[in-house]
Amino acid sequence: MTLLDFARGPAIHASLIILAAGIVLRLVGVLALTRGADLSRPRDAFGNFKGYRTVFSRAWPSSEFNAATVYQTVMAYVFHIATLLVVIGIVPHIEFITSLTGASWPGLPNFIGVALGTIALVSLLALIVRRLSKPAIYNSTVGDYITWIIVALPLLTGLMAFAHVGFRYETMLALHILSAALLFAYMPFSKLMHAFWFIFSRAQSGLAYAHKGVRI
Amino acid sequence: MSATASTQIFPSFEQVYQGLASQIGMLREMAPQPTKSDEKRLQGAIDTLIADTNADEAVWLESCIHCGQCTNACHYFQSMQDAKYAPMRKMDLYRRVYHRELSPMRWWHRLVTKPVKLSDFEEAKELIYDSCTECGRCTMVCPMGIDTASLVHHMRSAMVAAELVPPELAALRMEQKHQGTVFGSSPEKLKEMIDTIQAQAGVHIPLDKETADVMVLSSAVDLVANGNGLLATAKIMNHLGVDWTICSDGFESANFGLLSGDMALWKKQADPIVAAAQRVKAKTVVIAECGHAYPALRWNPMLRSGELPFQMMYMSEFLGKQAKDGKLRLRPLDEKVTFHDPCKTGRRGGAFDEPRAVLEAMGADLVEMANNKEYNWCCGGGAGIFLLQDATKLRDESFKIKIREVNETGATAVVVSCASCRLNFESGRQKNHWDKRVESLVELTAAHLIDNEAIDDEAPARGAVQ
Ligand code: SF4
Ligand code: SF4
Ligand code: SF4
Repeated sequence: MTLLDFARGPAIHASLIILAAGIVLRLVGVLALTRGADLSRPRDAFGNFKGYRTVFSRAWPSSEFNAATVYQTVMAYVFHIATLLVVIGIVPHIEFITSLTGASWPGLPNFIGVALGTIALVSLLALIVRRLSKPAIYNSTVGDYITWIIVALPLLTGLMAFAHVGFRYETMLALHILSAALLFAYMPFSKLMHAFWFIFSRAQSGLAYAHKGVRI
Repeated sequence: MSATASTQIFPSFEQVYQGLASQIGMLREMAPQPTKSDEKRLQGAIDTLIADTNADEAVWLESCIHCGQCTNACHYFQSMQDAKYAPMRKMDLYRRVYHRELSPMRWWHRLVTKPVKLSDFEEAKELIYDSCTECGRCTMVCPMGIDTASLVHHMRSAMVAAELVPPELAALRMEQKHQGTVFGSSPEKLKEMIDTIQAQAGVHIPLDKETADVMVLSSAVDLVANGNGLLATAKIMNHLGVDWTICSDGFESANFGLLSGDMALWKKQADPIVAAAQRVKAKTVVIAECGHAYPALRWNPMLRSGELPFQMMYMSEFLGKQAKDGKLRLRPLDEKVTFHDPCKTGRRGGAFDEPRAVLEAMGADLVEMANNKEYNWCCGGGAGIFLLQDATKLRDESFKIKIREVNETGATAVVVSCASCRLNFESGRQKNHWDKRVESLVELTAAHLIDNEAIDDEAPARGAVQ
């Protein structure tokens, strides 16, 4: 079995199983902690329901916070959107997803895929530069840096494989798939779980404040 | 031209602040010493956090991505620019306990992390008490919407179990727990104050009526220092002509259970008020201008208030409602003012419109601060921090944000509706020789009442209501 076969086969499959099982373990383990209800009378009877708005409204910080937050917010958006498009948009990825699920869709032209991958990597660099240059703002932990590296690796190796730089193409491709496997397996045990938590976390706060008639 | 200057029976608020400041200094000597063994204190703290953690807390603790967006939203970080005051740091110890005790990954965390020690709680004291007013401003910007204030509140409960409450709060907690008073504000003190108001100002306060529509609460600050607060309340109630009373077995708004994190004392303090209100068949309970009493009573999660036969209102809410209903007859306030939303009644209470309605009824030229309502900057003195000597620098520095915000409005006075805010504003005003006046909403309202009898000739009053 070549490295590429290992990466394409057992490695990526095992990582996907860990990903799925880990997400379920963590979601269920946390959400199973029972909720003691707030017994106080809500400001208006059906007002609490409005709290769910926060799930959407918190997608962009309010203008009061612009000066301090706009860099981080813009870069984070650029990173998330570019990464998502690369993950589901380029032909090799679609082929991989098709092999797992049978579903398929048209891919992006190569040059757009490369451009998006580059944008994602650059925005990730822009984020880490800011993190490093403003230690007091971020209070970074080892986990923050490890996560950054694990997220950056698939982007970096993917671009290198495409551009035929570094090792032999097959080796680079294997490294790319292995780095993706690492990302999948790491995801449920790291802050990357925010991909799920954000919905719950925002909704909870939204509801708690809506109970008092406050829109957050 | 201060609203308080019109009554000379009681000292001005400037003097009230100075008098209270010296009393606060003495609290440190009265603070109780830890009584339990270190192991018990640590275990108590951990057990408290375990008991307090439900899915909400767990999700918040899990969600933080260390994105740093909240850091500059906190007045303590903003003014000190010191990493340790960043909001996300205030939940670190809680998260460590959560990881080891409750998280679905606890077996892993127990393998790779060191057990939490009592000294960790000791170190967290500054973050949990001195540098978080539980104001909730950081929640407004957090992309995950994490409610750091709630997490800090649970940490305060853990600190009670660990016997690590700061001396000033510990002393007042003990006093309220064992004597049922705050700064000695006993039922006798209440009676004394009511008699003084009757004798000197000729204003009647119906104490302990058998039944009344409106039950009014007072507060320690009003009883032991600022008589003008209660006097103003009485004038307004009499002006409105409502059927009101104060009950000597349930009059204290202040709740050092809530402030220290002692949930049992919180309840013990709230229960008699509810009982008294039910006994007098009140339809409304009016909470004095004491910010944290609003969450302690109105938003008390342990109190099934939907089933109570009365509603609880903060003073500003009550006044606002009367103003909106056209029942308050007020002389115009010919001046540019701004309003400071106490966090406990504003962002964490939702009473935004009512205080503004009162100022509107006076025809005041109300200018909002750049950050107002949900986004208001906390004054830095809430959640008991005004009392903490160790927090003096944090408080003084963070208040400068408030000075800047108020100055930018061009107002000549800032109106507050919370005794803690007001004390903190007064302290900041004196220390900075600030040229703004600080007014309390209830006292300002009382000072602008159109006297029902005296002014009848020129401004025919609509007569007392009801
Ligand atoms: S709740 Fe207020 S004081 Fe506490 S960390 Fe957040 S912004 Fe700072
Ligand atoms: S803004 Fe929210 S997610 Fe970001 S560091 Fe602060 S608490 Fe954590
Ligand atoms: S003192 Fe006033 S502004 Fe400050 S925390 Fe209370 S209510 Fe908030």
